[in-house]
Amino acid sequence: MKLAVLLLAFALTASAAQAGAHDEQGRPHAAHERGAAEVAPPWKRDPFPSTYQPLPRQDALIVDATVLDGGGHRFEHANLLLRDGRIVALSTQAITAPAGATTIDAKGRWVTPGIIDVHSHDGDFSAPFTSLDAQNSDVSEGSDPVTPNVWAEHSIAVQDPSFERALAGGVTTLQILPGSSNLVGGRSVVLKNVPATTVQAMKFPNAPYGVKLACGENPKYNYGEKGKFPTSRMGNVAGVRAAFLEAAEYRTKWLDYISGHGKRPDDDLKKDTLAAVLGGDIRVHWHCYRADDMATLFDVAKEAGFHIDAFHHAVEAYKIPQLFVANRTCAVVWSDWWGYKMEALDGIRENAAFVDAAGACVTLHSDSPWLGQRLRLEAGKALAAGRRAGLAVGPERAIEWVTLNSAKVLGLDAKIGSLEPGKNADVVIWSGDPFSVYTRADQVFIDGALVYDRSNPARRPRSDFEVGQPSMTGGAK
Amino acid sequence: MTDKHKKINKMLVIAFFSAMPILSAAAGETIAVVHAQAWTMTEASGGRIDDATIVVRDGRYESVAAKAPPPAGARVIDAAGRTVTPGLMSADTHLGLVEVSSLEETRDYGVNSGPLGAAFDVQYGLNRNSVLIPVVLADGLTRAVTSPAAASDAAFLGMGAVLRVQPGADLLDRAKAAMYASVGGFGAKQGGGSRSAQWQLLRNAFDEAKTYVPPKAGADAPRDQLQNVLNIGALRAMLEKHIPLAVRVSRESDIRQALQLADDYGLSLIVIGGAEAWRCADLLAARKVAVVLDPEADLPWTFDELGARADNAAILARAGVMIAFSVSGNTVYLSHNAGVAVREGAGLAVANGLAYADAMKALTVNPARIFGIADHYGSMARGSDADLVLWNGDPLEPSSAADAVFVRGVQASPITRQTLLRDRYAPKHAKDPWPPAYRP
Repeated sequence: MKLAVLLLAFALTASAAQAGAHDEQGRPHAAHERGAAEVAPPWKRDPFPSTYQPLPRQDALIVDATVLDGGGHRFEHANLLLRDGRIVALSTQAITAPAGATTIDAKGRWVTPGIIDVHSHDGDFSAPFTSLDAQNSDVSEGSDPVTPNVWAEHSIAVQDPSFERALAGGVTTLQILPGSSNLVGGRSVVLKNVPATTVQAMKFPNAPYGVKLACGENPKYNYGEKGKFPTSRMGNVAGVRAAFLEAAEYRTKWLDYISGHGKRPDDDLKKDTLAAVLGGDIRVHWHCYRADDMATLFDVAKEAGFHIDAFHHAVEAYKIPQLFVANRTCAVVWSDWWGYKMEALDGIRENAAFVDAAGACVTLHSDSPWLGQRLRLEAGKALAAGRRAGLAVGPERAIEWVTLNSAKVLGLDAKIGSLEPGKNADVVIWSGDPFSVYTRADQVFIDGALVYDRSNPARRPRSDFEVGQPSMTGGAK
Repeated sequence: MTDKHKKINKMLVIAFFSAMPILSAAAGETIAVVHAQAWTMTEASGGRIDDATIVVRDGRYESVAAKAPPPAGARVIDAAGRTVTPGLMSADTHLGLVEVSSLEETRDYGVNSGPLGAAFDVQYGLNRNSVLIPVVLADGLTRAVTSPAAASDAAFLGMGAVLRVQPGADLLDRAKAAMYASVGGFGAKQGGGSRSAQWQLLRNAFDEAKTYVPPKAGADAPRDQLQNVLNIGALRAMLEKHIPLAVRVSRESDIRQALQLADDYGLSLIVIGGAEAWRCADLLAARKVAVVLDPEADLPWTFDELGARADNAAILARAGVMIAFSVSGNTVYLSHNAGVAVREGAGLAVANGLAYADAMKALTVNPARIFGIADHYGSMARGSDADLVLWNGDPLEPSSAADAVFVRGVQASPITRQTLLRDRYAPKHAKDPWPPAYRP
């Protein structure tokens, strides 16, 4: 046993050293990144770099589509050119197809940016759910309420069939988060929804990391039940404040050391993540439901000196939309989940529309491998609720709730989330109105590669897990 | 029921509802919905009548006919071409038995200790003032099966009931509508660790019920059996086909075992879940066994559901299997959003190949037949309870909503706890210096 552990440790060190010496294009890293002279703190390292390569691309001209561009516009009979993995042009005027480009007739069909799910557990709470998971799931590190040292990407099963199901629902980018058992649950990872045999090959290159935090019932229940800290909401807040105080001290020591003062601090994986949060290098995703809880945490963030990028679930965001505006924080919500726990009792269907109407950023998320296939319907349901409540909001806005706003939550809106020329060619061609239950994703492009085609079985990926299983074999008898 | 009873019942109903401010019409009112695209769900009409006049009298459907004039004195509602359906039904929920899912004191859908196995009956725990009831009703759900989900017995979960979704009223439509059992990998623990043991325990229970002789008064009869006297009665009712056995199973081999069990003991069978039911669709059709399925269950979420497919409903219906819907949505939809969820589920089933008319059946007449209330609910047949929904669009689109909902001829209030919160926090109040607590 001991030997095995040692061998494993050695293998990790060796491969990390090997991978770390070169960047994606094979160029050697700058000297400081090799550790020859420490001019950057440890949280700036990238020990698990993305190895993502776009799948083989085909330049494409999509013609005569109804387009919701993700930037708030709707165009009829529009044409969209994808070249070299980028959006090149979107116009209601004719676009000449460049040599070698495929022309796709999208008459009667709708085109949107790829859907972005900012709250998924695909891969870290994966299908099939087994008795091993029931005992100890890979989604949360249950041994301690403060685990900023764990990284969701180290739990991810790339063969989770949920990824392919989400792809068939038009999802091109996902943020995979640790669970909500802990006050600080660990780092998230942003993935391109491309089938791959390693998680590194799915990682969105240079996407900012996120950290998952959780308030309310889950941490106090999970640890209170074991007779451990925290057992209360006030304990939750105390635990988070303490963690950030320690991280601030660690950060100061490192910054002092780099500027030539003091001795080299020890590396600390826990404090690293939170120190990066304090410097704005890691984005904050806080699981929280109740308005009073969220208002408290806005103050906690102010005290510690960091920005909350998003409250996830935020079932009561509609009660405090002005705080979301003032703090430039996004509300990441469902269309209609309510009542399954005490802090979700006041859920209303107008949540997204009300927060949007107040001028705050809102997005729909899944937190579920089933809902994750239908985020467009989530946006449609939230839109319909808003319209019934008398708000003047339309589909060109609602699509932002699962595209551009989602990209903002991830800090990736310069690259994805709308069909603006220059952005990545992440595009979905829908069989019709994406907010209709009958509509299907016909074709999905990621970085210009046609990664899913409903009409072509050879372009409908299935994970290894499903090979030879009853879903794919036999017929009705 | 005698006419006298009917009259008394009617009077009681009127007295009751007239005292209820949230219901806006009396049961005795005659209503004519005109210019409706009516899904009658009756075989005589072929299921649908366009430009229909629907007449409701004394809480029951009286007639549905194209372009018919409304009767004199009726309250006329102009549907203006909108879709009108019978009230919809979810074939599996815990409505009336749960308030906040995570709070055990608000959950009454299962027992985990004590002597009740097959004898556990949910009918006594129903909460007519549950805040879920107006929510699902506003979404067009007027009937629902409410079922047990846990038991102290290794074999049976107990008996479920059919509800009328009527806020503040007696929810019970039909008690003992089905007996529930659950067999599968995760449930096998209770049976001792093997699903084979689960099937054996089920079989043994029926064997014991068959041969059970009550001890003579005063005698201490020696007993060597697992089923107690409470459970025997419920088991006997299944053997006599008064109560169907509803088995929660997913794997094909377990579905086939359930069919064999039903054969061997002469039981009426319903398959609940049935992720792999499509693999034995023809057999289920031939044996006239209905399947209650979740159209959203398309993932191999457990080893029992490796064959889960989005077109399960379509394959089963094409083979002639009677299907009905229940949508779990991570268990969040099951009860709390049962109304919108079954519509969305039905829509997804249509998107995956189910005929639209078959989806409408799966939301109305099919569950009515499966759970024994087709004599008074499920279609617009003359004499049926006037559960009726006027829709603002296609009911299978989750973004559509009900414009008006009637249960037994009484119009339901659209007000729910959620709409009250919505109105309290509507953007128009943004500048109000008074806190929301001062609003209704």
